[in-house]
Amino acid sequence: MDNNSPSLETHVAGIRMKNPVMTASGTFGYGNEYADFIDLNQLGATVVKGITSVPWPGNPMQRIAETPSGMLNAIGLQNVGVDGFIEKKLPYLRNFDVPVIVNICGEQLGEYEEVTEKLNATDGVTAIELNISCPNLHCGGMSFGVDPELTHELVKAVREKTDLPLLVKLSPNVTDITVTASAAADAGADGLSVINTVLGMAIDIKSRRPMLENVTGGLSGPAIKPIALRMVWQVYNTVKIPIIGMGGIMTRDDAIEFFIAGASAVAVGTANFVNPRAPLDIIDGIREYLEQNGIDSIEELVGSLRT
Amino acid sequence: MQTYTSDQPKKFDLVTKILANEQVAQDHYLLRCVCPEIAESALPGQFIHVLISQKSALLLRRPFTIYTVEDDQITILYQRIGAGTDVLSHLNCGDLVRVMGPLGNSFCIPPNLDPAIVVGGGAGIASLMLHAAALRKLGVRTLGLVGSINAARLLTVEDLGAIDVETYISTDDGSIGHHGFVTEVLTQILEQPQVYELHNPVVYACGPHGMLRAVTKISRSYRVPTQLAMENRMGCAMGVCLGCVCKIRTSDGGFEYQRVCTEGPVFDAEDIVW
Repeated sequence: MDNNSPSLETHVAGIRMKNPVMTASGTFGYGNEYADFIDLNQLGATVVKGITSVPWPGNPMQRIAETPSGMLNAIGLQNVGVDGFIEKKLPYLRNFDVPVIVNICGEQLGEYEEVTEKLNATDGVTAIELNISCPNLHCGGMSFGVDPELTHELVKAVREKTDLPLLVKLSPNVTDITVTASAAADAGADGLSVINTVLGMAIDIKSRRPMLENVTGGLSGPAIKPIALRMVWQVYNTVKIPIIGMGGIMTRDDAIEFFIAGASAVAVGTANFVNPRAPLDIIDGIREYLEQNGIDSIEELVGSLRT
Repeated sequence: MQTYTSDQPKKFDLVTKILANEQVAQDHYLLRCVCPEIAESALPGQFIHVLISQKSALLLRRPFTIYTVEDDQITILYQRIGAGTDVLSHLNCGDLVRVMGPLGNSFCIPPNLDPAIVVGGGAGIASLMLHAAALRKLGVRTLGLVGSINAARLLTVEDLGAIDVETYISTDDGSIGHHGFVTEVLTQILEQPQVYELHNPVVYACGPHGMLRAVTKISRSYRVPTQLAMENRMGCAMGVCLGCVCKIRTSDGGFEYQRVCTEGPVFDAEDIVW
């Protein structure tokens, strides 16, 4: 890289990254699924599918539905469990020079602690992302993330189990996201992932049945981008810890908006389903934007909203 | 059990040029595009994931089984059934379209197969054409049971005839062929193994959920092995979103959700939990 090129390197919540673009949990599998399409080494970080203490079968079908500029999902966190992840999935990810952030979820506080302890004792895990915002679980998951006291209790308990960088993924399904953001920050989170999916539903008017077997699901994609952007800006103005912005980022321009609103890094999610090259296209696009605007480093852009 | 194998299981995501996109029956279209990488490695039963538009409100790609492969070209036969396929049906010769593939698994061919019985309901027959063509190339006798709502929507009969598949037509309204469901024709054939010279038959089926369930029940009662090409709403088609699953029996008596896009789309009918 020549010396005039802007720097995309960044250091967010204790995670050193060659660029500020991650893949969002649940949209990038365990990495190997994308090997035919992109060089994983070019990613800023990869956040793997939510992991629980034991394997989960997931919800009955139908699990997804397309909605205008978005999609609903109620997958129900189907996953191989923490032992399966460490044994079968993590070794592949260790082949790359990319931070591995493991998203973890559970129904009880003890499950979060158990998964954290196991990951903490394993080589190759860079950071933990605490999922307190999955809208498709009947207990645990989002119920932690919509109650600031439970958020605080859970983050504090997990914090005591690990020195790894700890991100907390916040739910947008709250009246005031700054309250849960503050609760997570006060309890020792190193960074906040803003936002998870927005609770929604869709109906087939011929059958009058819900489009999802679970009736409701999490909305993602461009449809939620304005909501996500607003919440990043609100959280940026409230807490001091860094924010990873996500929610409907499809293009470079989308990502730039998030940096300006206050995100120190971004995660690309649903876009991966449509365009497997999306994260790399966005990385190239960010570099180009910085060059065109005479900005030396991505950090200069963070929170640069002019009001 | 013989399976189709590929030396290069690699997947591609390519911008391809449309050579033709013509209506072949009421609400059904045949799209042909140049796609040497996919044409070279595509196996019967595999599909492509087509990007409809990155500029419209239609976010996700749409999956279509590869209908035929000719030299460096592939075709898909699709029904205009919603907003995505409506957009697709309006693309013109010369337009560019982005396709990912080849995706998914493929059909299996047991030794001494005689005959193969392919059963398609509606556009489901499109998922069986490449397999029928491969079987005929191997010299396997093949029966084609094609079901449709009516004569105007009937698909593939000429294409099956051209490769010497013994074709049986059924329509819901009786406008052509057997008046009734394609599954009734299947029962009639399996009921008379001598008449139809069924030595070591295997059923391969694709179509609406209810039809596949009925096919499974019929095949089971005549103890005929059956492979089903399943369809489902799909997100990524790369195995990561876990949106397109099918409930599959496990050896311990339980079940698991397997991905239609990755472990499928072809499943053994006996493994599916309905």
